[in-house]
Amino acid sequence: MPLLEIDNLHIGYPTDNGTVELVRGLSLAIEAGDAVGLVGESGSGKSQTALAILRLLRPPVRILKGSVRFDGQDLAKADERAMRNLRGSTISMVFQDALSGLNPAFTVGTQLMDVIAAHRRVGRAEARTIAIEALSMVGIREPEQRLRQYPHQFSGGMRQRVLIAMAIACRPRLLIADEPTTALDVTVQAQIVALLKELRERLGLALLFITHNLDLMSQVCDRAIVLYGGMLMEEAPVTALFGSPRQPYTRALLACVPRLSDPPGQITSIDGSPPVAGRLGPGCPFVPRCPLRVEQCDARPPEHASVSRRVACWRAEA
Amino acid sequence: MKALWRRPEALLGLVLVLSAVLTALLAPWIAPYDPLAVDLARKLMSPSAEHWMGTDQTGRDIFSRIVWGARPSLTVGILAVTIGALGGIAIGLTAGYARGLWEQISMRAMDGLAAIPMLIWAIAVVGIVGVGPVTIGSWSLPNESKVILLVGLLYIPPLARVTYGGALAESRADYVSARRMQGAGRMAIMFGDVLPNCLSPVIVQATLLVAVGIVVEASLSFVGLGVEPPNPSWGGMLSDARKYIFSGEWWTYVFPGLAISLSVIGFNLLGDALREILDPRRAAGISVVA
Amino acid sequence: MTALLELDRVSKTYELERRLVPRLLGLRKPLAAVQDVSLQVERGAVLGLVGESGCGKSTLAQIIMRLEPATSGTVRFDGTAITALEGRALQPFRRRLQMVFQDSTASLNPRKTVRRVLGESLELAGITATGRATATAELLEQVGLDRSFVSRYPHQLSGGQRQRVAIARALAMRPELLVADEPVSSLDVSLQAQILRLLIELRRKLGLTMIFISHDLALVHHLCSDVAVMQAGRIVEYGAPAEVLRRPQHDYTRKLLAAVPRGPEAAA
Repeated sequence: MPLLEIDNLHIGYPTDNGTVELVRGLSLAIEAGDAVGLVGESGSGKSQTALAILRLLRPPVRILKGSVRFDGQDLAKADERAMRNLRGSTISMVFQDALSGLNPAFTVGTQLMDVIAAHRRVGRAEARTIAIEALSMVGIREPEQRLRQYPHQFSGGMRQRVLIAMAIACRPRLLIADEPTTALDVTVQAQIVALLKELRERLGLALLFITHNLDLMSQVCDRAIVLYGGMLMEEAPVTALFGSPRQPYTRALLACVPRLSDPPGQITSIDGSPPVAGRLGPGCPFVPRCPLRVEQCDARPPEHASVSRRVACWRAEA
Repeated sequence: MKALWRRPEALLGLVLVLSAVLTALLAPWIAPYDPLAVDLARKLMSPSAEHWMGTDQTGRDIFSRIVWGARPSLTVGILAVTIGALGGIAIGLTAGYARGLWEQISMRAMDGLAAIPMLIWAIAVVGIVGVGPVTIGSWSLPNESKVILLVGLLYIPPLARVTYGGALAESRADYVSARRMQGAGRMAIMFGDVLPNCLSPVIVQATLLVAVGIVVEASLSFVGLGVEPPNPSWGGMLSDARKYIFSGEWWTYVFPGLAISLSVIGFNLLGDALREILDPRRAAGISVVA
Repeated sequence: MTALLELDRVSKTYELERRLVPRLLGLRKPLAAVQDVSLQVERGAVLGLVGESGCGKSTLAQIIMRLEPATSGTVRFDGTAITALEGRALQPFRRRLQMVFQDSTASLNPRKTVRRVLGESLELAGITATGRATATAELLEQVGLDRSFVSRYPHQLSGGQRQRVAIARALAMRPELLVADEPVSSLDVSLQAQILRLLIELRRKLGLTMIFISHDLALVHHLCSDVAVMQAGRIVEYGAPAEVLRRPQHDYTRKLLAAVPRGPEAAA
């Protein structure tokens, strides 16, 4: 049984003109120990999916339909107390903005130990030991001293490490990282990604890595799911995705990424603008910008599933 | 506007405020009796068909006095806020944009001025200067004008601070840099770019300060330092009614009290509603980020 | 032929100690944001300025644009030193250098329509009121936006569209030098490409000289004729992208290159 199984998930919020859907019928599965990348641009619904797993969606945004099963239990229907037990211990999340993820008024140690104490029945001394261990696992030197420091005394990359420490302190089985490196410098990004890779191997946790940076994702994930306009476009092992993308959007997206290895001056782009939630028809959201579109595409494309891949396109060979 | 419709409290606030303002403006046409007309034969009559709110201790129609009393209350509130806004915005805007020495001097001056307690200040100054009309050349202004000036002066610090906070933040914005880069003049940038983006909290604060002004006017009139009797004012009416609190002529104090409370509540509700409506996040139209 | 832009030993130091007493006693906490930077930008060139956060590239851009004063050194534009110029004397130069900022949301006044934003630019560029409507329409066309966008407010535009308006605003002044400070960093990948292609095309059509600030080495590789790598306020390496990015001399450049994520083939 997969660790996390999302089935036909619809997320949205009500407006005067009807319901606006941000995620429209997404299904995916993550096995224990998997590293899956959730790739998409703005409007793809990737962050909302992550928040939905932990039921952290901000009202009026809510899960409209579908199930989110973790270890068989449907989280979409679980009560708040059950969710609180899960959050931070069994399923953890690392957010993008490390500065607002940490409370500037408390020491890092206090915040870290709070998380630990909330989920594990340990005394203060033991919580401290666990905290120190977590900090050193994320590569922070002199953890005993660092525990007593405040967030502003850490650099951006270090703060992100602290957030990761808080996320893994209770040994979660699933770690969701939502754009954990976007605001960081290139060198720090590389370090954080390497850290996530190492932690995954060491702790055997499953990782859901959400990003818009394909290359970065490929450094740590085995599988990738590409979202666009709230729908799944393609799912494939990373090497297959990069090597032979089958969905037009995936192909266009990969072509857009500027690479040092390409000849200079060659920049490909996708015409048109990103999808706006609430203004999408029932068909494939990529239709306005797709070079392969046909009339059929105005109806929702089927997902051609094979052994390790899924492609949502009328024009893709199964 | 649509947003106001959704909130009953906001609607209530708006209704109360409009009622107060219209009453003050249309007083001569709304009041059935002359508010100064004394008729001792009909003193202290309870509310009836003839006198909707009864009569006071000299036989004057209370309803008419309430209606006319709206004028000084609202005049003081609104004009004082206007003075405070003009001074406060000018100081706060320039301090936040230009920074440097002027910023330090003006903001510290504002801090000093803000330390003066409003009511004591008003009572003390009017007490010293004396109650009576103010004559400037051939113009004669009623006593309330002193109150307006005093309160207005003390309104400058809070409005300056709010404007300063906004100006400080907005002056750093890239769009201001862009204007500077184009060579736009200081005045154009301050009033054309920075000010419109800091006005929202100022409007909210101003609305709330009107409510405070109403209470200050009522308080001063209550102790005889505001509107000179026999001119009608809500605070003055309360003062007159002091003798009758325990003797049963409830209409003498209930109605003036209600008038004050309802106007203040109205402005407060409106201010709160405006604060929510003018929230910059709402203005930017951002509700959900996918 | 004199270079269009010349920086001669430009430095900028910020004073962090704000308290009065320590300052009087001479105790200072200087932060050297830009240290001794010299470079030249020829007409028609595209200089890429790369570095990580805190390296001083944005500060340098602000100094070039005369939005921040330099602590020492000279900035020469078309042969004239503009570092010391103020007010009226600076005015004719202001028009010739324009900037596109990183965050398009912050660089457009949320309360101004596109028409007003461009109109103000045109006004300062000397276009009379009668010519403004046509000029506005032309600008929008140049950046690939439909005319109907004039009545929109920034929050009614997508990130890419906002950035196009910001570019149009800069172009309204017919600048000779365009400084783009991380103009695509906050955009989606597919939009980044669109804006970059727009910039390339504009450069070709209008003969613009550009300074392109970025932390993304791949972008610099595609766009720039010269690259300057900055670290801690200094330029540590300079040259053509082909050289600098393939045969880096400086340790820091090597470190930056090593950190660039490559496709899955490299991760294996």
